[in-house]
Amino acid sequence: MDRESKSEQKTFINELIIIVAIVIAGFALQIAIGPFNYSIISFPVNVILLAGLLLLLLVKPSGTIGRFGSARVSIYLLAIVTIMCLYMGIVANNGVKASWPFVLIYMLILINIILVIGKRIRQFKWKDYGFYLNHVGLFIFLFSAGLGSADMQRYYMRVYEGKVEWRGENTKTGELKDLPIAISLEDFSMDLYPPKITIIDRTSGESFPVGRPEMVESFVGSSGVIGEWAIKIDSIIDSPRHASAAFINAKNNKNGDILSGWISCGNYFQPFKTLNISDIFCFAMTYPEPKRFCSKVEIFTKSSLKKSGEVEVNDPLTVGSWKIYQYSYDNNMGRDSEYSIFELVRDSWLIPVYIGILMIMAGAITLFWKGGRK
Amino acid sequence: MSWSEFIYFAGISLVFWCLGTFVIYKSKSKFMGDAMIIAGLLVFSCFIAALWQSLGHPPMRTMGETRLLYSFFLVLVGYITYKHWRYKWIMAYSIAVSSIFIAINLLKPEIHTTNLMPALQSIWFVPHVTVYILSYAMFGAATIAAIIVLYKGVKGTENYYKLIDNLIYIGLGFLIAGMLMGALWAKEAWGDYWTWDPKEVWAFITAASYMLYIHAPKAGISKKLSLWILPLAFILLLITWLGVSYLPAAQGSIHVY
Repeated sequence: MDRESKSEQKTFINELIIIVAIVIAGFALQIAIGPFNYSIISFPVNVILLAGLLLLLLVKPSGTIGRFGSARVSIYLLAIVTIMCLYMGIVANNGVKASWPFVLIYMLILINIILVIGKRIRQFKWKDYGFYLNHVGLFIFLFSAGLGSADMQRYYMRVYEGKVEWRGENTKTGELKDLPIAISLEDFSMDLYPPKITIIDRTSGESFPVGRPEMVESFVGSSGVIGEWAIKIDSIIDSPRHASAAFINAKNNKNGDILSGWISCGNYFQPFKTLNISDIFCFAMTYPEPKRFCSKVEIFTKSSLKKSGEVEVNDPLTVGSWKIYQYSYDNNMGRDSEYSIFELVRDSWLIPVYIGILMIMAGAITLFWKGGRK
Repeated sequence: MSWSEFIYFAGISLVFWCLGTFVIYKSKSKFMGDAMIIAGLLVFSCFIAALWQSLGHPPMRTMGETRLLYSFFLVLVGYITYKHWRYKWIMAYSIAVSSIFIAINLLKPEIHTTNLMPALQSIWFVPHVTVYILSYAMFGAATIAAIIVLYKGVKGTENYYKLIDNLIYIGLGFLIAGMLMGALWAKEAWGDYWTWDPKEVWAFITAASYMLYIHAPKAGISKKLSLWILPLAFILLLITWLGVSYLPAAQGSIHVY
């Protein structure tokens, strides 16, 4: 018994040595040939790798390869990937996700999970459904998200109002390419939150009180108090092409001083306007923040009009295997922007990714349902 | 209702909670203790509801708002755990930790902006944040229990291990659910379900460290040794939640609010 556990200890150490050797080999590759190029695993290579991984289900758990399906190995791999992610989470521009050691550990995790599943499946029990949901789901997710990402296509497309655009700019390489779908932008529109009135320091521009600024929303009839000043919004200007502006009446609660006048945050062609209180402070208006922005579009393929509709943040448009997202607009012009930027994404592995996510989600429910009971 | 009234609601809740815990420790009648804890929770939830009403969107947008929910859920989880496992200390400790978060909110509110930007206007907003805060509350309670066992080496540890595992499994279930809802949401909002954004990286680090904890016994690591993972994992959790925006890697993050 004692001897057996000792030999087991030894094989665990053997496995650790092999894992460390693989990480070191990863670093060597990194130095020799530079970052990992995901396009080498794009279709059909990833599918071949998947077949290879699935074959591991047949491996005998006690064999040399099969032992990489032990819980010890899972712990080593989890610890190593956590350390790698700590580096990724702290250091800026780290390049970890395209590094060979990371990619190799990712592969080892897939091997470990598939071996664990293979081992458990030999003593299949229905009551292990939680285990299968979590681990099979995780395998499907990690495979499709990791190796499938090589097949993902992402493009930005800038479309001017009233124009049609076919060309997309590859989000990674910046290359321009004719895409199989075109977008015609009918209209770009934006709703804004009311801008806010604030008291700022005339030299630093910082809002008062420093660190906990108080503000009054500017719409007709609104009022509020900042420090000693009671402010009332008398009227506002809020129309396309014009900078937001408000006529305010302010009364100092301490000494009864009264101030009134127009203030404006300004925009791309009108200067801002403040209302001076003293040599140090003045009333000013913040830029209005976007509440909702949306593009009315028509989508064409080479042969026909496919779809028309609206694209907005959190509400993409699906056309065939492409999803079209509202990405950006002319920040300088704000709601008067004459163009809209879309992001077009095609991910052929999306369905398996969703299957994986749903399985793990169901598995997570078994985790809090059972709460650690076997 | 605004943050300036928070101090009164928080004060009344804390008085109820402290009195309730005192009664739980000192008196044989359970009713008064329960009534006071629940009364405190009700007062606190009134503030949350009123704030929600006046903001026009759920109070989950800013750091201060998530801390507000945490102070509430930690006491709620502590109370449920106390009712289920009969450990009085979990009630006392969860109130103590909750009051730290209340104090932070009173001293450093971080509530400057109230407008909800377009990316946050989604049906996923409420479940994603709620489930996360619930899981953080579970992990908070488990960490308190783990530190007590590590520090004092309490008698009847077997039961403590059961309690800790129970909280960790439930917490991890919520954490994973929160992460995946985030992934589904990210696909709709940002075009991809996972981009290794710094906030995502840290969320993964937190999940991975709790996964290490639940896999440790299967790899033959002793209970006592694996208990050390929990305080460490909780530190990583706090970085994920409150610290990410201060890290150099997060300067280009789109997930920092």
